[in-house]
Amino acid sequence: MALLQISEPGQSTKPHEHKFAIGIDLGTTNSLVASVRSGQSDTLPDAQGQHLLASVVQYKAEEIIVGSAAKQNQIQDPHNTISSIKRLMGRGVEDIKSQFENLSDVLPYEFAETDSTVPKIKTIAGNKTAVEISAEILKSLKSRGEKTLGDKLEGAVITVPAYFDDAQRQATKDAATLAGINVLRLLNEPTAAAVAYGLDTGAEGIVAVYDLGGGTFDISIMQLKKGVFEVLSTGGDSALGGDDFDHAIAEWIIKQAEVKSADLNPGVLRLVLHEACKAKEALSDEQQVQINVEFSDNKHWSGLLNRDVLNTLIDPLIKKSLMSCRRALRDAEVDKDQVVDVVMVGGSTRALRVREQVGHFFETDPKVDIDPDRVVAIGAAIQANALVGNDAEGNLLLMDVLPLSLGIETMGGLAEKIISRNTPIPVSRAQEFTTYKDGQTAMAVHVVQGERELVDDCRSLAKFELRGFPSHVAGAARIRVTFQVDADGLLSVSAREEVSGVEASVEVKPSYGLQDSEIESMLKASMEFASEDKDARSLREQQVEADRVLEAIDSAMADDGEEMLSVDERESILLVRAELATARHNATETQQLKDAMSKLEKVSAEYVARRMNASVTKSMAGHQVDEFKQ
Amino acid sequence: MSDSIFNQNFFEIFSQPVSTELDINLLKEKNRELQSQVHPDRFANSPDAEKRQAMQLTSLINEAFETLKNPVSRLQYMLTLKGVDMNGETDTSMDGLFLMEQMELREEIADVRNQANPLDVLDTMTADLKTKSVDLIAGFNLAFQNDELDNSRKIVRKLQFLIKAQKEINEITEQLEDELI
Repeated sequence: MALLQISEPGQSTKPHEHKFAIGIDLGTTNSLVASVRSGQSDTLPDAQGQHLLASVVQYKAEEIIVGSAAKQNQIQDPHNTISSIKRLMGRGVEDIKSQFENLSDVLPYEFAETDSTVPKIKTIAGNKTAVEISAEILKSLKSRGEKTLGDKLEGAVITVPAYFDDAQRQATKDAATLAGINVLRLLNEPTAAAVAYGLDTGAEGIVAVYDLGGGTFDISIMQLKKGVFEVLSTGGDSALGGDDFDHAIAEWIIKQAEVKSADLNPGVLRLVLHEACKAKEALSDEQQVQINVEFSDNKHWSGLLNRDVLNTLIDPLIKKSLMSCRRALRDAEVDKDQVVDVVMVGGSTRALRVREQVGHFFETDPKVDIDPDRVVAIGAAIQANALVGNDAEGNLLLMDVLPLSLGIETMGGLAEKIISRNTPIPVSRAQEFTTYKDGQTAMAVHVVQGERELVDDCRSLAKFELRGFPSHVAGAARIRVTFQVDADGLLSVSAREEVSGVEASVEVKPSYGLQDSEIESMLKASMEFASEDKDARSLREQQVEADRVLEAIDSAMADDGEEMLSVDERESILLVRAELATARHNATETQQLKDAMSKLEKVSAEYVARRMNASVTKSMAGHQVDEFKQ
Repeated sequence: MSDSIFNQNFFEIFSQPVSTELDINLLKEKNRELQSQVHPDRFANSPDAEKRQAMQLTSLINEAFETLKNPVSRLQYMLTLKGVDMNGETDTSMDGLFLMEQMELREEIADVRNQANPLDVLDTMTADLKTKSVDLIAGFNLAFQNDELDNSRKIVRKLQFLIKAQKEINEITEQLEDELI
């Protein structure tokens, strides 16, 4: 029988070793780290007692400063002091170029010319990617964890917005790797919040998590039961947050002051935004606030903003978020009255109007018991603790879903959905494809994410090529593409030619992307432009069909056109073939293409029948096609 | 962890009899139980091979769950078990009366914006579709029990039509709701 071990305070309690793991909330504005100690999950403060770490990194020639010290230097050293870097995670050079104008007020940086698809910010310490900059924030949090816990860390759970796509998730994981952190799991922010809240209150049933941060909005509908947190659906808007409230107030100030926003320099704009943000926060406690702005030496404005005016300014934005809520409920197949609780997460849910409107929509008072800034990190730490094996009862289980549909590009630029949004993960799905040309031995698979019908309207994740399968006639190869999404929501794709067994596999790496606001607009647009999509889709389908028809006739003519057709017959077919080829490129109406195809069909009908006969005769005789050529 | 699950059909995975009448709450319960055993989070400290297997097993369970949860994909799956493949089928003949009804419904959906209370009309359509589905599923039960596979297959095809119509109704409902804001 083993003796009871009694250890000195501070001494290790081996063999019942407690493993340490942390939860990290890597935010746009602020970041946090939390850990479970003595069965209690809490955020860890720095040496000055601050829990929040400003997500700001300042590069100096000799050192790197992270946090509030860096934030204070933002005005003096704007080019080397980087904030809101989360907005650039998993984004490409093209994204930055196209959205730089919108973001210039929050991102006053110089971007380096680069051949890479990943944008780099010029700093005194060299060119830095978003992944590298995020890694500095993560390093700082990790070292805070190590200092507080006084032990080697087993790993970390890092939270991401539920609406993050594959590229953004991968970038976050890369940043952690760069910071030397073992990522136990990427966890969706609303799920983390639900864990903190659910374990705290012991609530059961269907819960909505409404997460409005500085720059993004997430809504998740979840089923809580005996420690199992099952996400039923998730939705959101990757370009909606408290920053937009500030912008709306700033616009109001500019209008009241009767100045032209075009005349304002970026410094003054920033000042107005700052005042707007201050006023917004003050109005959570006061009925009205006085705002003062020095537009220039001879232009000073001051005025009163009250709650009623504020509400009219931000109501349209709140309504946008409620639209996402309704969609999420529908996707979850849940009625509003089945939702027992609404958990509020994110600093922007401090706005009273948000609480009021959300409460009105769900017909229940939203829960604001846990500090909305810290709830995500607290939940992440609970999950981290369970993952390293400290959860003695082993009840905690998180079942999450895929936030955006995954698909692959098919001919004609169409996106064929392989896995629909809100499918539980991990998930694996296979789809068979075939070749469309004789002798085709390679094919490219383009993976996209989004809800729209055309590839160009979805976010491109990666392209990969499958090579080296044996030559078949068109349509004979069977290429089975398998999509595997793991529990982090990360995708891997493999493909295999079934006839030969040739296999290719790739990890999906962030390639490049669309605009920041695109994800949000993707879902919305898939509804609004449904009819326009259909027209474009049907034309593309006919173009693909036309390509097939052209391929088929060319290949047949090359094979046996000379033997089976007279000169006149050949000429008339070639003439109509040329008409179709022209229509294929110029036709703007589906019908034009259809007409051209049916014309070619008619003129070649006899030829097709002759070939059919010949091939039936051949196969009945059991001979190879080639034997008849001689 | 056992890999025998890979050889089981979706009903067997959840220890349910092959039947249209599935207790959804029981299915959800079984799903949670199974996932509690095999979810990758249970193998965070395990070797890569086990992690991979956990991921594959959970993927399979998720697929089985999603297939059985939805009544129509469940019926389709039951036919698959009998060797009837609904995908890539060539016989697309349909009962003429049913097709007529469907075409009329589609026209009504397309025209719903011109109604005085379009949302109410859409709600009524949804209720009608639900009733029709219930009847069809009952018909499937009978046919399937009597091993009338061709008849069963035709019923599933009809149900697929109803699902498409419901999808259109949902889309228009969302559009109309958005406009009301």
